[in-house]
Amino acid sequence: MARKTKSIYAGPQDEKIVISMRDVSKTYSKEAPAVSHANLEVREGEFVFVTGETGSGKSTLMKMLIRELKPSSGEVYVLGYDLNRIRHGKIPQFRRNIGVVFQDFRLLRDRNVFDNVAFAQHIIQVPGRRDIQKNVLFALDLVGLNDKYRRRTNELSGGEQQRVAIARAIVNKPYLLIADEPTGNLDADTAWDVMQCFDRINREFGTTILIVTHDRGIVSRMGRRVIEMKKGEIISDTGSDADFSGGYDGYAEENYQDVDADYNDVYAGGDPYQYDEEDDGY
Amino acid sequence: MRTFFYTLGQGIRNLWRNKGYTLASIATIAACLFLFGLFYSVIYNIQHIVDNAQQDVSVTVFFKQGTTEDDIKKIQIAVKERPEVADVKYVSADEAWAEFSRENLGEYAEGFDENPLADSANLEIYLSDVSKQPELVSYLQGLDEVREVNYSEVAASTVSGANSLIGYASIAIIVILLVVAIFLISNTVATGIRNHEDEIRIMKYIGASDFFVRGPYVFEGLIIGLLGSVLPLAAIYELYKRAIVFIDTRFQILTQLLSFVSVHEIFKNLTPVLLFLGAGIGFLGSMLSVRKNLHV
Repeated sequence: MARKTKSIYAGPQDEKIVISMRDVSKTYSKEAPAVSHANLEVREGEFVFVTGETGSGKSTLMKMLIRELKPSSGEVYVLGYDLNRIRHGKIPQFRRNIGVVFQDFRLLRDRNVFDNVAFAQHIIQVPGRRDIQKNVLFALDLVGLNDKYRRRTNELSGGEQQRVAIARAIVNKPYLLIADEPTGNLDADTAWDVMQCFDRINREFGTTILIVTHDRGIVSRMGRRVIEMKKGEIISDTGSDADFSGGYDGYAEENYQDVDADYNDVYAGGDPYQYDEEDDGY
Repeated sequence: MRTFFYTLGQGIRNLWRNKGYTLASIATIAACLFLFGLFYSVIYNIQHIVDNAQQDVSVTVFFKQGTTEDDIKKIQIAVKERPEVADVKYVSADEAWAEFSRENLGEYAEGFDENPLADSANLEIYLSDVSKQPELVSYLQGLDEVREVNYSEVAASTVSGANSLIGYASIAIIVILLVVAIFLISNTVATGIRNHEDEIRIMKYIGASDFFVRGPYVFEGLIIGLLGSVLPLAAIYELYKRAIVFIDTRFQILTQLLSFVSVHEIFKNLTPVLLFLGAGIGFLGSMLSVRKNLHV
C-alpha cells in the first residue's frame, strides 16, 4: 500500500510534515488576536499536546487546522492542503483524512453505538454493508467497546461515550486525529483511560495525534511533545517527543502496512485512503 | 444508486425520528394549501358564473331601410374580426317576427298577413370581453347603414366589474396566503434547523459533501410537501362534493340561476397545482434550512 505516493502527502517542505503553520494570526472583530504569529510544525506519527489556559487561543488554533476557521494572516498547511486556498468543494475531501474528537462527545442520541460509528462510514460512502460492519467492529475493538455495540449512547458512562466518539473518529482510518479537550468532561481515572486509547492508536498505527487540553497532570504524565499557548502566542514547545526521535523513520510506515493487510481484506482491492476526484462533485 | 437509497432511507428515518416536527410541518403546509384550494374552488366557480353571465350580454344592431342582406352580411364579417367579439348572429326579419310573435302574441299572431317587422333584420353580437362594450357600440354607431344599437350598459358594467373584482380578490387572497405560508413554514424550518444542527455539524467534520448533507433533508422536505398537498386535496374533494349536493337540495333557486363547476373539472387543474406547490414548498424549506448549516 503505497501511502507515500498519495498526492496529499506532498507537504510544503518535507513529505512527512503533517501540519505546518507559518506566522498564523486570527483576529475576531475588534478584539485582541485569539492567535498571533503562531509557527508550528508537526511531523507524521507525532503525538502532540497543545495546552494553555482558557482563552489562550488553543481552540482557535485547532479550528484553523480543520478549516472551520480561516486564519486572518499567515499560512496553514495540513496534509499538504493549503487551507487558505482550498475550495469549498474540496473541504469534505480534506476532512476525510482527519478524525475529530470533541469535549462533549457529539454522539447522535437517537442511535446505538454501532450506528454512531457506522455513520462516519456512510458519510464517506463505503460500499457494502459487510465492509462497514467489519470496520466498525474493528474500531470498537480498538477502544475496547466491541461488547457494547448494541447499547444506546445514553446508557454509557462518559468515558465510554468518549471512546465511541474516538471509534467514530478513527473508523475511516485518518492520517491525523485532532481532539479538543477530550477529557474535559471526565474524571481523572476515566480521562487516563481515554488518553491510553489515543496512545495506543498512535503507537499501533502511527496516526498523527494532536490533543488540545488544559489538563497539565495528564500532559506531564504522558511524556509527549507539549506546545504551550498563552494569550494567543506559542510560548513553549518541547519539540518532537523522545519515543519517536531517531527510530521514527519507517516505524509508522511498517505499522500501517500491517494494518493495511487487514484493511485489504475488508476493502477487497480498493485503497481505503484513496478518495477519487469523483468525490468532488458533491 | 446505493447512496441514493441510503439518502432516501436517512430522509425517511429523519421523518420518523422527528415525528412531532414532521406532523407540524405537514399540518402547516396542508392548512395553507387547503385554504388555497378552497379559494381556488370558490373563485373558479365565480369565474364560471361570470363567464356564463358574460355570454348573455349582447348588443343588437338594427339597420336603416333599404339595407340589403348582403350589406348586413358584410358588416357581420367586419364585426366578427374585432378582438372583443366572440360571436355574431344574423337574425333575418322573418326570424325576428317569428320570435317576437312566439314570445309576445301567441295565437294572436295569426291575424298578421305581412311581416310588420320588415325592416328588423339585425345582428346579435356576443362579446368575449364585456368591458370593451363602449368601444364596440361607438364603432357600430359610426357605420352609415346602422339605424339603432340596442345594449344594456348596466349589465355590461356589472359583469365587467365583477370580473375585475374577482381578479383583485384572488390576487389579494393569494398574496395573504403566501405570506402566511412563508411565515409558518419559516418557523417550522427554524425548528428543523435546531433539530438537525448537531448532526449536520458532525457530518461536516467527518467530511460529508454538501450533496450528502442536503440529500436526506431534501427528501424529507419533498415527502412532507407531498403529504401536505395530498391531505388538502382529499379534504377539498370530499367537501366540494358535499357542498354541491347540499346547495342543490337546500337552495334550489340558486341552482336554477347559477351552474356550478363539477368536482372533476376543478380537480383537473387543482391536483397538479397543489402537488407542485407542496413539493416546491417542502423542497425550498429544506434547502433553506440546510444551507445555513453547510458552511461549517
